[in-house]
Amino acid sequence: MALSQLELVDMLSGLSLFADLSRPQLEQVAHKMTEESFPQGQRILRQGFTGTGFYVILEGEVAVRVDGEDRAHLAKGDFFGEMSVLLGEPPVADIVALRQLHVLHLGGPDLEDFLREHPPVMFRMLKTMALRLKNATRWRS
Amino acid sequence: MPVSIEEKAAALGRVPLFAGLNADTMARLSDVAGEVTFPAEHYIVLQGQVGSGLYVIMRGGARVLSGSRELARLGPGDFFGELAVIDQEPRTASVQATEETVCLGLASWDLLRLLESDSTLALNLIRALTARLRSVTDQHRH
Repeated sequence: MALSQLELVDMLSGLSLFADLSRPQLEQVAHKMTEESFPQGQRILRQGFTGTGFYVILEGEVAVRVDGEDRAHLAKGDFFGEMSVLLGEPPVADIVALRQLHVLHLGGPDLEDFLREHPPVMFRMLKTMALRLKNATRWRS
Repeated sequence: MPVSIEEKAAALGRVPLFAGLNADTMARLSDVAGEVTFPAEHYIVLQGQVGSGLYVIMRGGARVLSGSRELARLGPGDFFGELAVIDQEPRTASVQATEETVCLGLASWDLLRLLESDSTLALNLIRALTARLRSVTDQHRH
């Protein structure tokens, strides 16, 4: 179910990753990224295999699964895929749709330029990653 | 023996976090980086304490501790405290000098300003966090 450009921009404006962007910038984002849908149970990223890009969840929920064990759930506004794109390494986890999933997708090679063009998105991403790192460190101690 | 500006710039240039930055950012970075010497056994950062910056080791060495458990060893060119740049929250681990250790300290507020003006630095920092997140995930698996 594809959204109209207007609906998509409205939806993006409500996601924290894009919260600091102006309307024209949101339109650019909507234009650059592609909407995709996946059925429940579909694996979007496969642990150990080549990554296929950066994803932002518009609707639905995914499990982050490492060696068959669920480590986290991600939902609307969360993103995934950036680790393998930025490091140029295969994904460390499977990403599996827990129910019908609606995402925005950006091809791996475009992520760096995309972030450079939108510093506020980069900064929001940094904060999220710092938080994830903190949570991950907490598990271990 | 104090560290010269040239030595600072050269040391910062070898740190992956600061790779590929333009000359202007490098100059500003060297300018705001302060040299600090810690005696052996000294805690450079303390777990639970609110951090105010990032450190790059120039000479000497240190260990990363969670409680009394050693998580990693650091040497010249390694950096720590990068989380404090992004959030002003308590440190997630302690870092203790294993010998007399010279660091360059970069205050969060100085780095934040540079992050805003140089997207390469911001991207490098995202990569550094990602790499750390990945190594934490990998270690958790074994």
